[in-house]
Amino acid sequence: MSKTNHNLPIRSISRELASSSSVFAVCFCFLFSIAPHFRNLPAWVIIIVLVALGWRCLENLGKVKALPKWLLVPLVLFGGIGVFAQYWTIVGRDAGLALLTVMTALKFLESQRHRDLLILVFLCYFLIATHFLFSQSIAIAILMFANLIVITATLVTLNQREDKILLAELLHTSTRLVLLSIPLMLILFLLVPRVPGPLWGLTNEQRGGVTGLSDHMSPGKISSLVRSNEVAFRVDFEDAIPAQNSLYWRGPVLAQYNGYSWSQSPRKAVRRLDLNASETATRYTVTLEPNGEKWLLALDIPSKLIRHSFMTNDFQLVSRKTINDLLRYQMESRLAYQFGLNETREYLALTLEYPDKVNPGTIEYGRSLAERFDRSEDIVNEVLTMFREQEYFYTLKPPALGSNVVDEFLFGTRRGFCEHYAGSFALLMRAAGIPARIVTGYQGGEYNKVGNYLIVRQSDAHAWTEVWIENKGWVRVDPTAAVSPGRIEQGIDEALSDETSSFRIQNRNPIFGNLLYNWDNLQHSWNDWVLNYDQRKQMDFLSKLELGIDNWSDMVFTLVILMVVVIALFWTVTRYRERPPKPAACEILLNRLLQKLSKRGIRKGPAEDTRAFLERLTAREFPQTEQLADIVELYNRIKYGRQGNSQSALSRMRSMVNSIQV
Amino acid sequence: MLSAALPRPIRRYFDTWFDAHNPSSRDAILLHNRRLYILPTRFGYLFGIMLLMLFFAAINYQNSMAFVLTFMLASLAIISLWHTHKNLRNITVGLQIPRPVFCGEFCELKFKVSHAYNSRRFAIGIQYDGAAPVYLKLEPESGTTAKLKIPTAHRGQFKPMGITVFTRYPTGLFHAWGWLKFDLPILIYPRPTANVKLQQSMVAQYDGQISTSTIEGDDFAGLREHRLGESLRHVSWKAYAQGKGLLTKTFQGQARPTLWIDWQLLGAGSLEDKLSFMTALVLAAEKEEQKYGLRLPGTTIGQSFGSAHKHACLQTLAVFRQSDLNQEFTLEQD
Repeated sequence: MSKTNHNLPIRSISRELASSSSVFAVCFCFLFSIAPHFRNLPAWVIIIVLVALGWRCLENLGKVKALPKWLLVPLVLFGGIGVFAQYWTIVGRDAGLALLTVMTALKFLESQRHRDLLILVFLCYFLIATHFLFSQSIAIAILMFANLIVITATLVTLNQREDKILLAELLHTSTRLVLLSIPLMLILFLLVPRVPGPLWGLTNEQRGGVTGLSDHMSPGKISSLVRSNEVAFRVDFEDAIPAQNSLYWRGPVLAQYNGYSWSQSPRKAVRRLDLNASETATRYTVTLEPNGEKWLLALDIPSKLIRHSFMTNDFQLVSRKTINDLLRYQMESRLAYQFGLNETREYLALTLEYPDKVNPGTIEYGRSLAERFDRSEDIVNEVLTMFREQEYFYTLKPPALGSNVVDEFLFGTRRGFCEHYAGSFALLMRAAGIPARIVTGYQGGEYNKVGNYLIVRQSDAHAWTEVWIENKGWVRVDPTAAVSPGRIEQGIDEALSDETSSFRIQNRNPIFGNLLYNWDNLQHSWNDWVLNYDQRKQMDFLSKLELGIDNWSDMVFTLVILMVVVIALFWTVTRYRERPPKPAACEILLNRLLQKLSKRGIRKGPAEDTRAFLERLTAREFPQTEQLADIVELYNRIKYGRQGNSQSALSRMRSMVNSIQV
Repeated sequence: MLSAALPRPIRRYFDTWFDAHNPSSRDAILLHNRRLYILPTRFGYLFGIMLLMLFFAAINYQNSMAFVLTFMLASLAIISLWHTHKNLRNITVGLQIPRPVFCGEFCELKFKVSHAYNSRRFAIGIQYDGAAPVYLKLEPESGTTAKLKIPTAHRGQFKPMGITVFTRYPTGLFHAWGWLKFDLPILIYPRPTANVKLQQSMVAQYDGQISTSTIEGDDFAGLREHRLGESLRHVSWKAYAQGKGLLTKTFQGQARPTLWIDWQLLGAGSLEDKLSFMTALVLAAEKEEQKYGLRLPGTTIGQSFGSAHKHACLQTLAVFRQSDLNQEFTLEQD
């Protein structure tokens, strides 16, 4: 009676102490994963990381003793309090990263066992994800793969249970694992049904360090932005790209003036747009880089809303969420329009305000203009003519100005950037009794002929004005165009070609220009296909395939089928590649003989040599012992003899084996 | 025990199924597909939880690269499932019949592990019932041996059960294993009682026929009638000179008496204690190079001497009333 006792052997085999080489491996692995984050972490966190890792390595070498357990509790508390003191929170992107880093580093100090190291490796995998909260560029994706290979190699070391680490072999193994995972990952990425997020509330974090437009404008603000070559957004037009001089990308509208800087009036969402516009809409898709603010950029003048956004009474398109991630939206604009015909009195009063203590000269001049002309249009033209015909210069490096900025600029230095012209023009208009406001945004853009889209950079940042004229509403007036028509006709690059190196790919690098356009196009496709692959994009993609996959169950079904096919393919290939060598023909014959004998109940003992077994069989057990002896002799001759695998000997052996009767 | 928690019919069905799929074998066992099992380890489950967290975070933040990472790690887990299984597949494990040991000693199991594939196999562990495993590595188309020391707690003859060969390579997320059931005997002798000496008094107690007087020996025991054929060298010429006739000197101590190690003479005591004591006596007798025999109820082994005889006696003692033992022992009873 047999009693079966089969314990599941899945017990913690990993309670053993960690080997010395594996500790070093995990230390290196953590350092490798955290190093790219050093610029996002406060210095003291980096010091904790380095000290903890250093201590653990020295401990491993036997140079120092392990920290006593009781010391870890105050250290962990210290780490938590430190993070809180730094950020006044322990959640959110930056504080969360710092906390995770500190705790992982401290975990090293108490990691003595194999399983502790495994957990640390898992934390390293987790750390990769934190990179994507900062950037999702192609470079970060490549870094992710490098990280995956290193971390997986560490995991393999831990499970290999060898004292010696063979680095090349390890990297080979882990690279193989990672590369084999890619096809499955692609299937999952394309076919796992996407759910629109978020699932829980997101903290509306303000993140510093992002270049972009600001909610106020003072002299020097935009010119500092213009020096940045970063991409602000990219635009795919459905039809032809409009002329350069109509590419006014509307951003924050600034209606409040305090004598020095312009700022936004309180945002008010409007329900009905006060807009008379042309029937033809320009349709396009904007891929907006994260700007850490809430404004969405659109061509003057947007006539559509997107999800989670609203339009203010000054026709500013505002997102309800801070734009911390790449955002892609479809937008339409009317390039010929009239708006704000029925502007409220309160708002018009606001756009006429100015402090009369500063810039007395400008105010005086503005008031005199109001006395000289009746029509608002004439006043506007007078000032523009002044800018055009007098010695005003458009420059990125204006001289420093004192307290009466506008006065000094208009009547003194006469050198300025778009914000100087727009600001002084708006003040002059207000002094002349014409409601005026500043609009900031971008003007122009660079056409990428490889991908047929427009690249708008921070260097395209611009400020212009809108004045309100009875029966015409708000009318765009760009004083910079009067001073430097090239800025508007050809773009910032032409207008400032003497002052700065070019921002345009074509001018910057005539030789590799095409290559760089291709690179930018790659980034654009990356944004389009990877970063914006959401529910809608997924549905678009699947419907384009025309396979009739249009719901969840179809997607999951296709997903499973594809996965099985890929794994089966892998399986077949490796089975073929790792197949055992075919046994020699004489071995096959000998095995056939053994099978014949076993049918009769004559079995070879365990670990018994086949030939010895055949020779020991007596006539009582098996009558044809002589034939058996002949077969063994022939086998020996084929296997070890001179003539080797001769066909005649083999066929003779075959016929002898066949002749054995059971 | 996996099946202990299950209702009886299901358990019986499971056991039958299990035995049918994992037949015990006298030869080396080839771990083919149907003999291999694979389940996530504790770390595998932890990894799964981490993946779920990442997945929900990716949905929440609508972060595409987080999706990429989640799916990448999930694929890595699938690939490693396959690799772990592949690392153990078609390995042949054979067991040599182990040398018998005394209960309480470690029994050394010697395995021959080999494979005929041109791939390398890493971190293959052989484990006995949750004890510390031994690990080995296989080069392409090669074999190696592994020794596993298992503690013994009961005498008897057993089939080795509860031995698994497993691997967690390469990622440790999965545990692939196969059960090794060998139809080979493992013999464990009873634990010998400590400090047992084969004293004359005790021997006499066990064996009345002990012949204490011989003509050879160290200690003078006395004189007796000279028998025809005895060497004249043993004649006490001193006594003859005294006119007492031909007398032969006899001696004690150096004699090699034959003795019976008899169950009946042991008196009271538990079965195991008696067997332990008898084991000790067998060893002592063997050490003192005396002829001895073994008498157990229903079994008698004639008086003899030497290694083979000793093993025969010890084996008889080992398996004596083995079925009476209530053993919670994972070596299966023969």
